[in-house]
Amino acid sequence: MSVATPHAIQQFAEQIQQANVDKQTIQITGNKSKIPLGTEDFNGEPVQELNISDYSGIIEYEPAELVVTVKAGTPLKELQAALAERNQMLAFEPPDYGNSTIGGTYAVGLTGPSKPFRGVLRDFILGVKLIDGQGRQLGFGGKMIKNVAGYDVSRMLAGSKGSMALVTEMSIKVIPLAQEVTYCIEMPENEAILLMNKMAGTALPMTGGAYYQGRFYYRVAGEHPAQTNRVGVRECTNDIWVTLNPFRPELQEGEKLWRVDVESTNPAIENTIAVGMGGTRRWVASPNKPNHPYVTLWQTKFAPRHNDTPHVQKIKLGLRDVFDPNHIFKQL
Amino acid sequence: MDVIEALKRALSEKNVLASVESCRPYECDGLSAYREKPLAVALPETVEQVKSVLRICKAHKVPVITRGSGTGLAGGTLPLKDGIVLGLSKLSEIIKVDPLQRTAVVQPGVRNISVSQAVEKYGLYYAPDPSSQIACSIGGNVAENSGGVHCLKYGLTVHNVLSVTVLNMDGEEMVFDEKDDGIDLLALLNGSEGLLGVIVEIKLKLLPKPEAAQLVMAAFRSVSDCADAVTSVLEQGIIPAGLEMMDQFSIIAAEEFAKVGYPVDAEALLLCEVDGSHDQVQTDAQRVADILTGKGAYQIIVSQSEQQRIDLWQGRKNAFPAVGRFSPDYYCMDGTIPRNKLAFVLDEINRLSDNYGLKVANVFHAGDGNLHPLILYDANKPGELELTEDFGTEILNLCVDVGGTITGEHGVGVEKLNSMCHQYNTPELEIFHGIKAVFDDTGLLNPGKAVPTLHRCAEVGQMHVHNNQLPHPHLERF
Ligand SMILES: Cc1cc2nc3c(=O)[nH]c(=O)nc-3n(C[C@H](O)[C@H](O)[C@@H](O)COP(=O)(O)OP(=O)(O)OC[C@H]3O[C@@H](n4cnc5c(N)ncnc54)[C@H](O)[C@@H]3O)c2cc1C
Ligand SMILES: Cc1cc2nc3c(=O)[nH]c(=O)nc-3n(C[C@H](O)[C@H](O)[C@H](O)COP(=O)(O)OP(=O)(O)OC[C@H]3O[C@@H](n4cnc5c(N)ncnc54)[C@H](O)[C@@H]3O)c2cc1C
Repeated sequence: MSVATPHAIQQFAEQIQQANVDKQTIQITGNKSKIPLGTEDFNGEPVQELNISDYSGIIEYEPAELVVTVKAGTPLKELQAALAERNQMLAFEPPDYGNSTIGGTYAVGLTGPSKPFRGVLRDFILGVKLIDGQGRQLGFGGKMIKNVAGYDVSRMLAGSKGSMALVTEMSIKVIPLAQEVTYCIEMPENEAILLMNKMAGTALPMTGGAYYQGRFYYRVAGEHPAQTNRVGVRECTNDIWVTLNPFRPELQEGEKLWRVDVESTNPAIENTIAVGMGGTRRWVASPNKPNHPYVTLWQTKFAPRHNDTPHVQKIKLGLRDVFDPNHIFKQL
Repeated sequence: MDVIEALKRALSEKNVLASVESCRPYECDGLSAYREKPLAVALPETVEQVKSVLRICKAHKVPVITRGSGTGLAGGTLPLKDGIVLGLSKLSEIIKVDPLQRTAVVQPGVRNISVSQAVEKYGLYYAPDPSSQIACSIGGNVAENSGGVHCLKYGLTVHNVLSVTVLNMDGEEMVFDEKDDGIDLLALLNGSEGLLGVIVEIKLKLLPKPEAAQLVMAAFRSVSDCADAVTSVLEQGIIPAGLEMMDQFSIIAAEEFAKVGYPVDAEALLLCEVDGSHDQVQTDAQRVADILTGKGAYQIIVSQSEQQRIDLWQGRKNAFPAVGRFSPDYYCMDGTIPRNKLAFVLDEINRLSDNYGLKVANVFHAGDGNLHPLILYDANKPGELELTEDFGTEILNLCVDVGGTITGEHGVGVEKLNSMCHQYNTPELEIFHGIKAVFDDTGLLNPGKAVPTLHRCAEVGQMHVHNNQLPHPHLERF
């Protein structure tokens, strides 16, 4: 069964194979919305760029199968528009940082406001095609919603940030376009956190819960009981979910933006400027790192957390060797 | 000191079984055609004891086959005669339920159904519901990434697990959490079939129970009409909570067994359940009924009460035993196919069925393309099991060839090792072996399961090449 390989894929594979020969480090890039990914690594050493943004477009899309197969360089906007045309959407609502590609989004594992309700990016990944560090073309998973043959490599690599393989193609489960309304109400942060958790445990079809600038926002999909008869609750636009996704606040001099992932019921954290994802995501603006286990500095350079235990770290390093034994792909 | 002695000292005399008699229940799992007596069965009562078992086995270089409830259908817990079965059924505590956060932390031996039972008082439940849910363990569910009738809407196990604690052969703990940065090792552990580590604690996501549910039953005169109807429902933006299809043989068998009023003259029967808020369910059930009628359903029943809904499900839920009554043994397959290939695949299966002279009934999770052909056979007839397995392998190859996969939810175990060779090429298999070695450099965790050796695939490949040497050469192939 030999399917003709697109020319571009062949070239990517050759570039990676050649890098093995030349002992050259490769930096994979999408649309470089995560700047600066350019031709130097963070230590100023030269790296060769492998840009996949031209490898773009939808390969296969059958709405009734609830699956779309897309090239990794496809801009999110383009993919989302194609799905919307058939009344469908990406369930994980990825943030678009300005022409982000679906491959880059997968590589950093980004999910939007519906996370606790519909799930995260990797939940919807059914299969990927990739080129590993030796330039081998591989395929994992497929186009099936259910598939437990072999280890789940296609979900595992979500979040691999170009450090283990070049992902060239992915099959993603899609869902019907949701009809959603947003309600809001003024209240203190801690009360809002409690309330969004309580509401998420009821039959109300919630798809978003957030707290921003003194207001609790919640989003509901489909038919549901009237909300505005409750004291203080009013309907507002869906804009809040765009404000928070991607969240790009203006920071004061000396402040940094921290992404803090916590249990949904975690009480208010000092210097929080927004609560998202039903309470599981806190955006903190402060000069210093908040004292929590799952914190990422959100900035233009990737800031790895370095908080893996030695055993987990050993596994991650080992897996990197499996996919990229000669360490061709640039590490973070 | 030998390994059994060491285990007895670490656990207790009574929690280490070694006699033929006491090991018998552990000789096989749900795939009972494969059996082996293990060296011994270790039944630890605490996580500390699990660690001891692992360290002892590592020191003695003895393989460890982790076992939950043993309901697996692919031989994943098949013992090795020089290996230990590590039974986790005594680790059955629900450690913590947090109703506000909608999470439960459980030990691996907790039965699937007990989670939903324990949280019912909060109006919550644990969504993945394999048909074996009264028996199967959460640890086993994670290791198999099990599904259930409701997974089109509510996801598989991997979608409902927030964190796992895993032990390696040194008995060291690792936590994989959904909040972790970088590659997704939590996802990798789901479906790892006991090869990457022993899962000793799991944090589960709980969902609010839907307010209402309604079932639409529709009868069709042809399989392709029924498949088209399913396509329409999904195209119109309805995601049913359950969407099950049965072929004529299954319908007849189920009706005879459960007497729920299934139309026995139908070529295909569809059961479509919608759930959610009261208002939404009413709207959706009516829409579904209209769509199905428009697509040629000649008889439609919309459940009008909770009792009627449960009754109508009874036939489908008992389809396996119902079909089983027609034959001494049956073999359950688990391929997945794109729905638009369903009519073709069923035709091919029927053709193969004629060729092999073995009857097949088909039940189908229509929403997610997961097909369960049940092959009827008689293990007492010499050669019939082997014939059945070959028939099964051909079905799985067919699934792969139409763009599907060899297993949707039951896992590879020992059963589908040959079919793995058909689905994956050498480099992918090398990656799988590489992953295994990173987690378990001793190779002692459930060896020989889930991923075939390259050597084995080379042999299987040769079998494909030399067509004239295939087993049962008199059978027509496509
Ligand atoms: C100011 C700013 C700050 C940000 N801060 C962070 C942050 O701290 N952490 C974070 O996770 N995200 C952050 N993001 C978001 C995120 O990195 C990108 O916006 C994301 O959406 C990637 O899209 P892209 O196509 O531009 O990819 P790029 O920016 O080009 O690449 C992003 C990463 O993905 C890898 N990659 C891209 N395509 C592929 C592929 N096909 N196969 C394999 N690997 C690939 C690259 O190697 C790189 O590691 C930030 C964005 C902005 C604008
Ligand atoms: C009547 C019947 C109906 C079924 N219906 C369904 C269905 O609808 N959907 C479905 O998906 N499956 C179904 N199954 C298959 C089976 O029930 C599932 O695979 C289930 O998840 C197995 O759980 P178990 O506890 O019995 O695991 P076991 O059979 O004991 O083990 C299964 C595998 O998991 C490994 N394992 C078990 N526990 C652990 C652990 N703690 N750590 C690491 N590895 C572990 C074992 O080594 C083995 O490889 C059905 C089975 C039967 C008999």
